Amino acid sequence: MSKFVLACNYEGDYGLKVLNVDTCNTMQEVADIARQHLAGVFVREPEPGQKLRVRRHGETEFLPDTLKVADAGFVQLDTVDIIHVPA
Amino acid sequence: MEIKNADWYDLLQDTNWTPKYVSEEELFPPQFSDPYGIPVSEWETFDEPYKVTYRDYVKTQREKDVGAYSVKAALSRVDFYKQAEPGWKALLQMHFGAVPFVEYGSVSAFARITRFGRGPGMRNMASFGTLDEIRHTQIQMLFGYEFLSADRAFDWAHKAPNTDNWVIMSERHCFDDIEHTRDAVTSAVMLNFAFEQGFTNLQFVALSADAKRYGDYSFATMLQTVQSDEARHSQIGEPLIEILVRNGRKEEAQKLVDISFWRVWKQFSALSGIAFDYYTPLKHREFSLKEFVHEFVTTQFLRNLKALGLEKPWYWEEHFLPDIETYHHAQQIGIYMYRDTEWWDPIAGVTPEEREWLEKKYPGWNDTYGKVWDVITENVAKGRTERLTPTIAPVMCSMTGLELSGVAGDKWNVKDYTLDLDGRRYHFGSPVDKWIFEQDPARYKNYYGFTDRMVNGTVPDSPEGMFEYMGMSAEERGTCGMDFKWAGAAAKRAA
Repeated sequence: MSKFVLACNYEGDYGLKVLNVDTCNTMQEVADIARQHLAGVFVREPEPGQKLRVRRHGETEFLPDTLKVADAGFVQLDTVDIIHVPA
Repeated sequence: MEIKNADWYDLLQDTNWTPKYVSEEELFPPQFSDPYGIPVSEWETFDEPYKVTYRDYVKTQREKDVGAYSVKAALSRVDFYKQAEPGWKALLQMHFGAVPFVEYGSVSAFARITRFGRGPGMRNMASFGTLDEIRHTQIQMLFGYEFLSADRAFDWAHKAPNTDNWVIMSERHCFDDIEHTRDAVTSAVMLNFAFEQGFTNLQFVALSADAKRYGDYSFATMLQTVQSDEARHSQIGEPLIEILVRNGRKEEAQKLVDISFWRVWKQFSALSGIAFDYYTPLKHREFSLKEFVHEFVTTQFLRNLKALGLEKPWYWEEHFLPDIETYHHAQQIGIYMYRDTEWWDPIAGVTPEEREWLEKKYPGWNDTYGKVWDVITENVAKGRTERLTPTIAPVMCSMTGLELSGVAGDKWNVKDYTLDLDGRRYHFGSPVDKWIFEQDPARYKNYYGFTDRMVNGTVPDSPEGMFEYMGMSAEERGTCGMDFKWAGAAAKRAA
């Protein structure tokens, strides 16, 4: 368990944000942390029936929701896209 | 009888002597003077467009100062400021904090050109440029400081360069690069041609026109006197580029222009762009940033480039033209929302009437940046103050030092262009910023921007620690210039 920093590219937002997470967080938790900071501040909350998923910046495949930060092979300040998808 | 200048000017400025006690290389070390190896005989062909003597210079400058100071004396500036609209106050606060120290930096750049330039005419013009920039620093500090009794923000006219505030760090990275860490020839191309000829019309002519329309006559007059100097000393660049091109250095000259034009554009877009399109009160706003840029930059600057035998920068169509429509809108959101990290009191500038203007000038604004403002507006209107200060920091571009941004909302397109080097990851907001880094990684790689400093612990990991790092006591932090009253009309319209 240790602190880890990601660059967060949240769908709809105007720019990247510094996202402090923990290496034991899962991708679903990473998405939730991003939502807590950004939804309702810069971007609307996800619509009912929508959830957020995480992918490496610029890729189309989402990372598994249960994958932990420590196991994702990220480098410090790696960039992730947080995308709205049907739940 | 006074002898005409034309009869003695050429003799007077012929100051290239053959040194006896030191070698030519010791007197003009190439790394400071001319790393391009252009023969002295070529430098002696430098034909300055403005042939100015010290006597003429002093007379003209005195008249300019008399004009600016008499307008200032005749008008009660402090009373004008107190009655000004919040947007104009924000513009003045930002201008007087951000600009004087860039002017002061130009003093040392011109002094280097004066000392190490190889062309006598170039040195002569740069001498006057040095004096110009001293005047620009002093007059702008004085005009700014005058408001200190009315607003604490103007303390930053003097304080700003001595801080590690993120806006100042961004400016410093840009102008250290193009003005302060280059030889006389390179910095003259970057400063005089790309920066001054490319952009100062935008800052001083366009802003002066807005100031006049708003009734801020002393600010308008002061800006005009600054620009009349810029118009003269920026002319150092053209004959210099002609010499470079004639001596087989076109490729190098082109690259210098491409790098510096982009670097300065990002600064102007973020700071002047929001002043034109968000801070200037709507009823006094005539042109948008986009219109000013097309008038003063794309038309005039491209014409100058072509006349010198250079091409438009490689990124013109694909990156620069779209950036005119987008970049400053994204920066405005961040500057408003992270207002407590700035010394000025930003305004949102998005009342229903202002949004109508933005949509007209930038078709599609409502579906992009407007979507973020919809959320902010709703929070302001409903009094959700806890959502009006973000709990998460932005990522800054490793080249511009400004927020790494893109298009928001329905046409969401934010891209991070990364580069890994020596165990570090660098983040760039555009391929152009990354390209600049790649041209000379050794120059840029050891710099730690604000985001890097937050991540590596240089900036303390607490809000108060961060403010202390930036030199900002609680009283110095920006607040909403309209005290959040702007959202009332928007909320009514939505209901």
